[in-house]
Amino acid sequence: MSGDPGRLSTYLRREAWTLAAVTVTGILYNVGLAAGPWFEGRLAQTLCDILTGQKERGAMLPLALWYVVVLGAVQGVRFLKRWYVRRFANHINRDMKAALYRDLVRRSPRKLEEESVGALMTKALSDVDVCTEGIRKFTTEVFDTGVVMLSYLALLLALDPRLTLLCCLFPPVAGLAAGRLRRQVARAAAESKESAGRLSQATLDRTSNAMLYRVYGLEGARDRAYEEALTDYERRAVRSGVWENAMQPLYQSISMLGVVFLLWFGGKNVLGTGWQSWDIAAFTTFLSCFTRLAAKAAKAAKLFNSVQKAQVSWARIHPFLRPVEEQTEEVPGPGVLEVENLTFRYPGGEPVFAQVTFTARPGEIVGVTGPVACGKSTLGRLFLGDEPYEGHIRLGGAELSRLPPGTAVYLGHRPELLCATVGENILLGDPGDPMEWLRAVCMDREVAAFPQGVDTPVGSDGAGLSGGQQARLALARTLCHQRPILVLDDPFAAVDQQTEEAILANLRALAGDCVVLLLSHRLRCFPQLDQVLWMEEGAVRTSTHAHLMEDCPAYARLYRAQTGEEARHEAE
Amino acid sequence: MRRNDPVLRAAADTLRARPLLSGGLICAIAGAVVLGLLPPLVLEGLVNDLAAGSPAGRGRVALYVALLVLAGACEAAKESLIIAFGQQVTHRLRSAMCAKLSRLEASYFDRNEPGFLTARLVGDVDTVEVLFTGGVVGLIADACSLVGILAVVFTRSVGLGVLLVVCAPLLFALTRRVQRRTLQAQLRHRQAVARANQHIPDTLQNIRTIRALGKETYMENRYGVFLEESCRAVEETNFCDAVYSPIVVTVSTWLVAVMMVLSARGGAFQSLFGMSVGTAVAVIAYVGKVFEPLESIGMEIQNIQAAAAGIRRIRDFLGEGERTELPAVQEVPGAPAAELRGVDFGYEPDRPVLKGASLAVQTGETVTLAGRTGAGKSTVMKLLLGLYAPRRGRALLNGRDARAVPEGEKRALWGYVEQSFRPVPGTVLDQVTLGDERISPQAARQALELVGLRDTVDALEQGADTPFRPGLFSQGQLQLLSIARAVAAQPRLLLLDEITAHLDAATEETVLHALRCAGKGRTVLSISHRLYRPGEGRLVQLDHGCPET
Repeated sequence: MSGDPGRLSTYLRREAWTLAAVTVTGILYNVGLAAGPWFEGRLAQTLCDILTGQKERGAMLPLALWYVVVLGAVQGVRFLKRWYVRRFANHINRDMKAALYRDLVRRSPRKLEEESVGALMTKALSDVDVCTEGIRKFTTEVFDTGVVMLSYLALLLALDPRLTLLCCLFPPVAGLAAGRLRRQVARAAAESKESAGRLSQATLDRTSNAMLYRVYGLEGARDRAYEEALTDYERRAVRSGVWENAMQPLYQSISMLGVVFLLWFGGKNVLGTGWQSWDIAAFTTFLSCFTRLAAKAAKAAKLFNSVQKAQVSWARIHPFLRPVEEQTEEVPGPGVLEVENLTFRYPGGEPVFAQVTFTARPGEIVGVTGPVACGKSTLGRLFLGDEPYEGHIRLGGAELSRLPPGTAVYLGHRPELLCATVGENILLGDPGDPMEWLRAVCMDREVAAFPQGVDTPVGSDGAGLSGGQQARLALARTLCHQRPILVLDDPFAAVDQQTEEAILANLRALAGDCVVLLLSHRLRCFPQLDQVLWMEEGAVRTSTHAHLMEDCPAYARLYRAQTGEEARHEAE
Repeated sequence: MRRNDPVLRAAADTLRARPLLSGGLICAIAGAVVLGLLPPLVLEGLVNDLAAGSPAGRGRVALYVALLVLAGACEAAKESLIIAFGQQVTHRLRSAMCAKLSRLEASYFDRNEPGFLTARLVGDVDTVEVLFTGGVVGLIADACSLVGILAVVFTRSVGLGVLLVVCAPLLFALTRRVQRRTLQAQLRHRQAVARANQHIPDTLQNIRTIRALGKETYMENRYGVFLEESCRAVEETNFCDAVYSPIVVTVSTWLVAVMMVLSARGGAFQSLFGMSVGTAVAVIAYVGKVFEPLESIGMEIQNIQAAAAGIRRIRDFLGEGERTELPAVQEVPGAPAAELRGVDFGYEPDRPVLKGASLAVQTGETVTLAGRTGAGKSTVMKLLLGLYAPRRGRALLNGRDARAVPEGEKRALWGYVEQSFRPVPGTVLDQVTLGDERISPQAARQALELVGLRDTVDALEQGADTPFRPGLFSQGQLQLLSIARAVAAQPRLLLLDEITAHLDAATEETVLHALRCAGKGRTVLSISHRLYRPGEGRLVQLDHGCPET
C-alpha cells in the first residue's frame, strides 16, 4: 500500500473515486429531495385549479409524469449514494485491518507477550469496525442532514423569509435540549456498556469452565452468579435505551411547534392578508418542507455523535498503524556452529550458566541435558537472538546477533499450530507434499486415517489433535522449513518411547546440514548423539555420552536409572 | 417459525409474566398509532377552508399542534416500553440458554470450542436483543399504523385505498426476496468474519514460529483472503440494503401520480377517488406514511436477517441432546472406591476406546495408570467422574454409579487435577474455592498450606485476596493451585490426569511432593507418561482398551 498507514487521508485517497461518487450522488439526491414537496404542492394546486375550472383536466397528466420522472431520478441517485457510501466504508474497513495486521505480525514476539500489545491490537481491530461505521454514518449524515437541511431552508426562505424565521425558532431549541441531556445519555450508555462487559465475562467463565464446574458440582451456583450479572445488565440497558431512543420523538415535537405560526400566518398568506401572496401549492410545499426540516433537525445531534465515536476509536487504532519495513536479509545457509565462552545472566543477576564452549559441524545432533532447572531451555532460547548474551555464537563465522531472525528455529513445549489444516500447518504456503514430512515424524498413517486426510483442520491451537500428535506435527513443520540451527526443547514429552526412537532416526536423515540441539531429560537416545552437553549449577561440560558415563557420576546415574528402570518395567 | 421456537416462547412468557408492562406497551402502541393518524385529518379541514377562502380557525390550529405534541409523548412512551419489553425477552432467553449448559452432554463441550459457545450466548442473543428492542415490536406497531392508515384512506378515497391494497402484496413479495438474499450474504459474511477474527489470536499464539520461519507475508496473505471474503459478502448485503428503500419510495410516487391523474379526470373517477383539495393534501401525507413502516422494514432488514441466523443457531443449541439424569442412590459399604466393570466405551460409534475394561481401586490405595498415547487413560477418568455414560458395563464409585452422584456431594467425594490449570474469574482464593460458599476461607488457606503455596500467596500484594491474573504464578505453582482446588473440600478420592505433562522436571518434583502430601489418607488414581516410581502403589498398564496389572 502506498502512503503512510497512520494517516486517515491515505485511506481516503485510495477510495478517492468512491468518495467522489458519494459526494456527487449525495449532493444531487439531497438537493433533489426538495423536489418532492414542490411537486406535491403543484399537484394539489393543479387539482384545485381543475376542480374550480381554472385549468383543463389534461393539465394534470404532464405534471404527474414530470413528478414521477424527477422523483424516480432522485431515488436512483439515492440508491447510488447509499451503495457508494457503504462500499466506501467497507473498503476502508478492509484496508485499515490489513494495515493493522501488517504491523502486528511484524512486531517482536517479546513485546507482544510482555507488554500485552497483542491484546491491545486485538481490541484495535474491533475498533476498526466502530471507526468505519462512524465514518459511514458521518459521510451519510453530512449529506442527509447537512445538505438536505440547507436545500429545504433555501426553499422555505424563497417562499416567505419572515415566516421561515418565525417557524425556525423551534428546531434549535430542540437541538439545545438534546445537547443539554447528552451527558446523561452518554453516562447511561457507558454504564450499560460496562455492565455488558461484565455479562460477557460471566458468560465466558460459564462456558469455558463448564466442565470444571460440572466436575465439582458447582453448575447451579455459577448459574446464580450469571443471573445476577444478567439482571444488572437488563436494568442498565433499559435505562440507557430509554435515554437514547425515547427522547427523540419529544425533540421532534418541540421542533414542530413552529407549525402554529405556519398554519396561522401561512393561512393569511393564502387568503391574501399576509406577508406574501401564496396559493395552495405554496402553502402545502411550505408545510411539507417544514415538517421534513423539523424531523431532520431533531436528528442533527446524531451527526455529532457519530463524529465523536469515530474519533475515539481512531485515537485507539492510530498508534498501531505504522509503516512497515520489509526484511530483505536472506537467512544464511548451513555452516559450522561455534559457541565460545557463552554466558547468560538476567539483568543484574548471577549467570544462569557460564563459559559454554562447543563446536558442531553441519548435520551433527548435540544433546543437552542436566538436572532439573539447569538452564537448558534458557540456553536453547538464546539461539533465537532475542536476548543479549556474553561470549560468541557464530554460524559459518558470522556472529548470531548480526544474522537475521530465523537463523535458528526453536521448538518448545507449545507446538504453536495454526487453526488451519494439517497440510497447511506443515507447508505454511510453500509448495510440496506434506505426507513426506508426516512420514518423518511417524504420523503419516494416523493422518491418512483422518476423515479428510491432510486437509483435516486441526482446530484452534491444534485442539483437534492429541498432545502427541500436536508435538509431531510441529516437528514436521520445523523439518519442512529447515534453518541452519534447529533447537528441539523436549519435543518427545508427549510421545511414547518407540515413536521417539523412530523419529530420531528420521531426524538424522532429514535434518541434513542443520545443526540440531536436542534438549531433553530423557536420555535413552543419547548414546546415538554426536555430542552431549551436561549442565549443572551454571557449569557446562562439552563431551560425549561414552565419556560422561565414565567420568560424570550424576549423568551415569541418571542414564542408568532411566534405562534400568525401564528394563525392569518391561520385564513386568 | 415453529410453535416451539425459543424466542417466541420467551416473548410469550414475558407477555404472561409482566401484564402491566405488556398492557402498557399495547396501550402506548395504540395511542401512538391513533394519534399519528389524526393530524392530517385536521389539516384536511383546514386546507379545504383555505381553498374556499375562509381563514384557518384558531381551534383547528391549536388542535393540530396539541395532537402533534401528544403523539410525540405517546411515541416516547412506546419506545421506552419496547426497550423494557425487549430486554425482558432477551433476559429470559439468556437464562434459558445458561440453564441448558448444565443439561448438555459432556461430549458437546468436546465438540465445540468455548468461543463457539460464547458466540451463541453473547453474539447471537445480542442480535435477538437488537431485534426486540429496536426492530420487531416497532414493526408490529408500524403494521398497526399501516392498517389504521389504510382504513382512514378508504373513508377518504376508495380508489386510493384499492390502489394501496393492490400494491402491498407486490411490495411484500419484493421485501421477502430482498430478505432472502440478504440472509445468505449475511451468513457468508459472519463466517468470513469468524475466520478473520480467529486469525488474530492464532497469530499471537504462534508469533514466534511465524517470525522464526519468516512467514509474516504468508500470514498476511492468509488474513487478506479472509478480509476479502468478508468484504465481498458485505458488498452483497450492501446492495440489498441500498436498493430496497429507493424502490419503495419510487412506488409511492407512482401511486400519488396515478391518484392525482385519475382524480383530475373527473366523473366516475372523481367520485371513486373522492378528491377535494384538502383530501389531496391529507392523502399525500398518508401515502408517505403508508410506506414509512415498509421502508423501516427495509432499514431494519439487516438486523432482522442477522437475528434470523442467530435465532436458528439458538434453536439448534437449545435442541442439543441432553444427558440423562440418574436417580440418587446410596453407596454400598465395602465396595471399591473406584471401579470399572466390563466397560465398553468410545466417543464416536465406530471408534471404540475401551473394550471390556475392568479395574478396581480399593479405598486407601494408590494406583497409577500407564499406557501408550491414545490407550484411553483419560477416558477412564472421565467415566469415573460421571461425565460420560459407558456403552456397556458400569463405572462405579463406592458401589454407586458415577453418574448418580448428586451435585452437592461431588466435591466431598473427589478432587480432579488436569494437565493444565483452568483459571476462573476472581481472587486467588476464588481459584481454590471456585466461588463455592461451602468452603470457608480457612479451609481454602489450609489447602494452600498443604500444597506448599501458603507463603507464595501471603507474599502477594493483597495476599489470598489478590485478584488472579496470568503471570502471578509459574506453571508449576498453577498446578499446585489446581491441587489445592481439588483437596479444598477434603475429598476421599483424588483423580490425577497427567498433571505434570506440561512441566519441566524441576517443577515436576515440587508438584509430586505436594501430591504426596495431598494424597495422604486418600484413594489416589493417577495417569502418568513419566516413569513410574516403584514403591508408590500399584501400576496398571492400559493397552488396547483393556487394563492389565
